[in-house]
Amino acid sequence: MVCIEDYESTFENKWCPGCGNFGILSALKDALVDLELAPEQLLVVSGIGQAAKTPHFLKCNAFHGLHGRALPLATGAKMANHELTIVVHSGDGDCYGEGGNHFIHAIRRNVDITVLVHNNRVYGLTKGQASPTSDLGMVTPVQHSGTVSAPLNPLSMALVAGAGFVARGFSGHGKHLSGLIRAAVSHRGFSLIDILQPCVSLNRVNTYEWYSKRVVDLSPEGYVPDDLGAAITLSRQGEDSIPLGILYQKEMPTFMDRMGAFDGRPLVAEPYDRQKRQTLLSQIG
Amino acid sequence: MDIDTTVKVSGEAGQGIQTVGQLLGLVCREAGLYVMAISDFESRIRGGSSFFQIRISNQPVRAPHHRVDLLVALTSETLELYRNELSPDGLALIGNDSAPIDSNTQQVLFTALASQAGGRIYANTVAAGACLALLGAPLDLCQTIFSGHFRPRGKAITDNNLNAVLLGYEAVKDIPYSGRFTWPHDGPRGALVDGARAIALGALAGDCRLAAFYPMSPATAIMQHLDGFSDAFPLVVEQAEDEIAAANIAIGASFAGVRSMTATSGGGFCLMTEALGLAGITETPLVIVNAQRPGPATGLPTRTAQADLLFVIHAGQDEFPRFVFAPGSPAEAFEVTVRAFHLAEKYQVPVIILVDQYLADATFIVEESLTAPDHIERFIVGDKDMKDPAGYERFAVTPSGVSPRALPCRGKALVVVTGNEHSRDGHISESISDRISMVDKRHAKLDGMREDICPPRAYHGTAEILLIGWGSTEGAIAESVDRMRADGIDAGCLMFTDLWPFPADAAAEAIGEGRTTLVVEQNRSGQLGKLIREQTGIACSGAILKYDGRPMYPHEIVDGVLPFVR
Repeated sequence: MVCIEDYESTFENKWCPGCGNFGILSALKDALVDLELAPEQLLVVSGIGQAAKTPHFLKCNAFHGLHGRALPLATGAKMANHELTIVVHSGDGDCYGEGGNHFIHAIRRNVDITVLVHNNRVYGLTKGQASPTSDLGMVTPVQHSGTVSAPLNPLSMALVAGAGFVARGFSGHGKHLSGLIRAAVSHRGFSLIDILQPCVSLNRVNTYEWYSKRVVDLSPEGYVPDDLGAAITLSRQGEDSIPLGILYQKEMPTFMDRMGAFDGRPLVAEPYDRQKRQTLLSQIG
Repeated sequence: MDIDTTVKVSGEAGQGIQTVGQLLGLVCREAGLYVMAISDFESRIRGGSSFFQIRISNQPVRAPHHRVDLLVALTSETLELYRNELSPDGLALIGNDSAPIDSNTQQVLFTALASQAGGRIYANTVAAGACLALLGAPLDLCQTIFSGHFRPRGKAITDNNLNAVLLGYEAVKDIPYSGRFTWPHDGPRGALVDGARAIALGALAGDCRLAAFYPMSPATAIMQHLDGFSDAFPLVVEQAEDEIAAANIAIGASFAGVRSMTATSGGGFCLMTEALGLAGITETPLVIVNAQRPGPATGLPTRTAQADLLFVIHAGQDEFPRFVFAPGSPAEAFEVTVRAFHLAEKYQVPVIILVDQYLADATFIVEESLTAPDHIERFIVGDKDMKDPAGYERFAVTPSGVSPRALPCRGKALVVVTGNEHSRDGHISESISDRISMVDKRHAKLDGMREDICPPRAYHGTAEILLIGWGSTEGAIAESVDRMRADGIDAGCLMFTDLWPFPADAAAEAIGEGRTTLVVEQNRSGQLGKLIREQTGIACSGAILKYDGRPMYPHEIVDGVLPFVR
């Protein structure tokens, strides 16, 4: 039996009091317990940012890497050992800004990992600059006249790039989010949850109150996430009504399936066959 | 040596010049001759001018020769470009009607003969046949090799090529050529291996299981060779979206427990430097090949250079230990690659292998047997090696600086690493004591690493004039020493393969004092010379430097030494 306490870290949590990240961390723990996944079975990979500190506040295997580079790290780890359960914690700057190219290509590969993007629509670690998902015109200490670039729509982007699991959660709806995380980890293939998360210190626009008035859970409305066109339309819906839930899910062959080499043991568990190598070396012309 | 002939085949990109070269090499190898071949090409798929140059001998050859004995020019432009390289009794074959014909130039209608054989596309095979006939190669040997080479492409293509080689062979039988020699029937003396293939074979022998890369000349060939092994061995070769991803994928795979590598050239290495630091601070083993080309930025994409030595030694912000090796031949590139994977895991550090376009693409007869290690020592611990797996600390402080390395999700021991400075358990720490102890721990590895460093190799090391080089120029430098000694000049050389940690004591002892010391390098500033001065206090007397992007030839080194001869 796995319990919440198994995941409790003694490391001091350095997020601001009231941060939306706490809701995400707690929903994650609930999901992992529900999945009966023990800490030693989990690898959390992260980049740089407040979200990327998550693995320090959990008890698990962790690789906290470079800004924007969590996805290639996770991809390499999964290739080496496809039995790993890998959850990536990233933020809007980390995943959609610095790591934007990796985001597109991780979707193409369809590596079986789960990506949780803590999307607070502002840069937290560097104190309040605009992020790729900040509203057009958002005023910040270094964008004093307001941002001049339009916000990126990560869900549309993931859907168009061919992702097989695209969802949106809200850190203020923990139970719902926990269910999404469970579904994402269980999904075979690349799964993305863009998690709306208020930044209580640096984003005075997209607050708990602002989100609470706008988010709408898709599932009670009978939405079935099997229509890409409908999912794209939903992902482009205006901000008066923000859909929460799985927008699209389709199982497709993963990177490991397509490679064939992963049919049996993980790469890490294969023995070193000296004789076979030597035979090849002795026969080269 | 009785036989020492250089053949140059030139033409446009897309004319199959590399195929001609490959076939010449295979025929020579089968007869028991030694060859050393270089290719020169522009960054284009069609047109322009490129060449393949092969030196053939009955003695081992390890450098190209600047005098061409037989030039086969498939275009009149390349005849004009290269005819001044012909030796006085050399011969040029030209296929174009408009080319000038003098006593050293003979016309062979490659294209017309190719059409007879089945199509203009076989002009290169006609040229190969003509070339081999002039050199005196037995026809049946040529036919056997050509037939074997083309067989996988089907009967029609094989037959057409055999027709083409015969037509080329017959077309030159009345042309007098003094360079014809008697061919041995000794059988192969070794395999035909270029530097890129040697590194791929070394990676396979060294149990590399994951290679991630972004295509970049001249490193791509390494990955192409590795990819060829991935069906039969537990090996994944993945083309990443960029070099940053390639390096991070390799680090992720290494963290999860497989030996991994990436290969690139200088520009790609620039993109990988942040990841190099990540491997440094997370103490994750990683092998990176930098196949150098001239820069900066895009530079000369298809040419050669040795100008990244100081860059790779210092690449990345702050300080962390690493190995830097620069092999001098394909045989050594194989050995160095096997060793790189071993040392990366033994010390949990990145290892950089520096080659260059010349060595990556140059083909040699490798007589040494290539041997896979009996077993692979992984330096990895598991729960069974620990008293308390739950208390495992990835960065435990040890006298050697090397902490026991466990793998994630392979037991109860949790593995936590971060690119932030950290405490022993791998969690972020900003404490002064953690910072100092982690920096000291990482640097403590250098003592052990130095013990695994090989000293430079001397050849006539006590000579009055000592040439000092590193990496791929070894063959050219050694041959220049032989030539000078034959002319009564007391010259010798000292070659470095292991460049970092720098073998300072061994270098100082080998270089000594009171004689002429000249660094020979393919860069503008004499980077090894600077490194020797920094590490030993010894200032070399001078430098022979070449940075035109072309390979180093022995005669250029001799010319560079002459002003220093008393």
